[in-house]
Amino acid sequence: MDLQTLKRKMDDAHYIYDDTMATVLAVALQLGRPLLIEGAAGVGKTEIAKVMASALDRDLVRLQCYEGLDESKALYEWNYQKQLLSIQVNMGTKDSDELTKSLFSDEYLLERPLLRSIRSENPVVLLIDEIDKADEEFEAFLLELLSEMQVSIPEIGTVKARSIPFVVLTSNRARPLSEALRRRCAYLYIQYPDMEKELAILRAKLPHIDDRLCAQVALAVSRLRSNEAILKKPSIAETLDWVAALDALGIRELTPDALRQTAGFVLKNSEDFAVLEGLDVKTPETAQHPHCGGCHHG
Amino acid sequence: MAEPSVYLEKISAFSRILRMEGLAIGPKETADACEILVALGLTDRAQVKTALQTVYAKSREEQLIFDRAFDGFFLSEEAMRRQAEDQARHDSEIQQNIRQLQESGQGQGLSEEQQYIYGTMPEEARDKLKEFMTKYQASAQRNPQLYDGFIKSVFTKSLLEQQIRMEDAAVGAAATDPEMGMLYRDISRFKEAEIPKAIVIIQTIARQINGELTAKRSRGGHSGKLDFRRTIRKGLETGGSFYRLNYRKKRSRRKNLVLLCDVSGSMMQFSEFALRFIQSLNQTTESSRVFLFSEEMYEASPFSLQNMDLFRDYVRECGIYGKGTDLGSALQALSATEPPVLNSATSLIILSDTKTVAQERAISALQEAKRKAGKVILLNPIPQSHWPYITSAQAFSSVCSMVSCSTLSDLAAACRKLTIS
Repeated sequence: MDLQTLKRKMDDAHYIYDDTMATVLAVALQLGRPLLIEGAAGVGKTEIAKVMASALDRDLVRLQCYEGLDESKALYEWNYQKQLLSIQVNMGTKDSDELTKSLFSDEYLLERPLLRSIRSENPVVLLIDEIDKADEEFEAFLLELLSEMQVSIPEIGTVKARSIPFVVLTSNRARPLSEALRRRCAYLYIQYPDMEKELAILRAKLPHIDDRLCAQVALAVSRLRSNEAILKKPSIAETLDWVAALDALGIRELTPDALRQTAGFVLKNSEDFAVLEGLDVKTPETAQHPHCGGCHHG
Repeated sequence: MAEPSVYLEKISAFSRILRMEGLAIGPKETADACEILVALGLTDRAQVKTALQTVYAKSREEQLIFDRAFDGFFLSEEAMRRQAEDQARHDSEIQQNIRQLQESGQGQGLSEEQQYIYGTMPEEARDKLKEFMTKYQASAQRNPQLYDGFIKSVFTKSLLEQQIRMEDAAVGAAATDPEMGMLYRDISRFKEAEIPKAIVIIQTIARQINGELTAKRSRGGHSGKLDFRRTIRKGLETGGSFYRLNYRKKRSRRKNLVLLCDVSGSMMQFSEFALRFIQSLNQTTESSRVFLFSEEMYEASPFSLQNMDLFRDYVRECGIYGKGTDLGSALQALSATEPPVLNSATSLIILSDTKTVAQERAISALQEAKRKAGKVILLNPIPQSHWPYITSAQAFSSVCSMVSCSTLSDLAAACRKLTIS
């Protein structure tokens, strides 16, 4: 898929992107490389995988990583209970070699997300979310899948991919990933969107909300993010929640009172609330901001 | 448009440059870069840069290195001409300065390299140096034995300072990313407004190190003792057959840290950052005790280390703020503490720039502390490239292991080494 087609498909999916992101996605697709996305929590890393699934018209297979994740949860597991039952049922009737062989067949294989993604007839988008939360052993285990698009199952042998999935790995940089994993991936680093991009996201996701309110919220969020004293920067999802909450309360303008009432949607710890108390987030020039479109409604 | 082979050659040369810059670039990356250029074309410079960055750079840090290398390598013709002109002008200015120095006769006894460094000095610094030479010229002629050495030492000192400035400029972090820039900037040069940001960076890195430690512990192997309870419970899942045995995990031993922090004027900011860093590593230590010193030593209460304001207030209340540094007496007091603070199970971390009164006494006190403690590490906020010019740094580094921690990045690397290795 070329860059222009990809851009058109992302436009169709109402996804707000910039040229850098589109180029990186096109390069990863062109080279057939997994895409490693890093960035702070809440910048929209996971969303990219969802949008790519929609743009490429593929199913999304998601593997959420956590400490202690192993191949039995990520790749495959034998259905032991079913195998034991089968042994007891077929003990006297089947030849023992044949019985043993039949126990390690597809019938007893429980596919987990990684195996499911490469055994799928139609290519899928495989999202390996928060890879930094998994152990280093799991990272090493992924190498074969990411570079060769195959996995080795001792009882069966090598399982080659029937279709090549588009793999997206995300990381919050909670720990550095291994060089070997990085080398196999195309890399994208995402930062928080600037005010204009955030406003475009709000317009695309919540088209029914008054443009003036969206602009005020986008400006307030951008100021909160640029304030060094705010420890937990608001994510894009939190901005969307905030606007939705203001709308649900029938608030049409982000006054200081409205801000105080609904700040819980965007700030999530007491230190940040204390900072907000002494902060002038919304100022009168909000309504006259050149990019907000608020002037037309004021 | 040039032949494709020209571009292939260029890409190959670019790969070599990136390799020299420290990026792990293999033939696969070069092949990918060529493939992607063929697919995307070369008309849009920004697009080519992003595409090559995706192929070559695999982390935020590598992206910054890539940006610098790309901008330097793929110059437009106009930029190349401009750069060549600037370089020629700069070279001729240096040559002119060197000629003036030689004509004045003041450059005698200086090596070629020192003369070149003089040539790179700003006009103000050169004038200051010339003024000094003229001032003492008459005295030097009257009493050459007394003044010659003095003039030469001042001259050499100025040249060394200029050399250090040049090295610092070469090492300078990219200013394009404020967060990354802070990681590579001298801690002592942080402005007051940047401190909260620096603290957030410290917390992020500390979280990373804690994560690595947890991961390391969880894969630390087993103790060899069978865990009957878990083995039986797991066995029940497979109808009572113990197809996989479970073992008890190894018990991890955490370190006992003793931190000795210099809080004399210039060291205050660095000590605060370093302390915050080490204290954030909650996975690292079983217990830690913090001692603060300038001319005298006090043990800091954990409450006083909670935030920057409390820490500064505490240091002022103790009366050790703004005084000179006496590392020797602090180490002697630490070694003499009853019950003993230092023993074979403790790691002593000293935060000091090694600039102290009574250097010889400090060295022998350090040797004594090293004998008592299991491990001694000195975290020095002065960049390693400056150590050859500082005698105290050379002396201390010969006694214990000394790590340069002038930037948050260095500090993180030192803490990582200290805790994970």
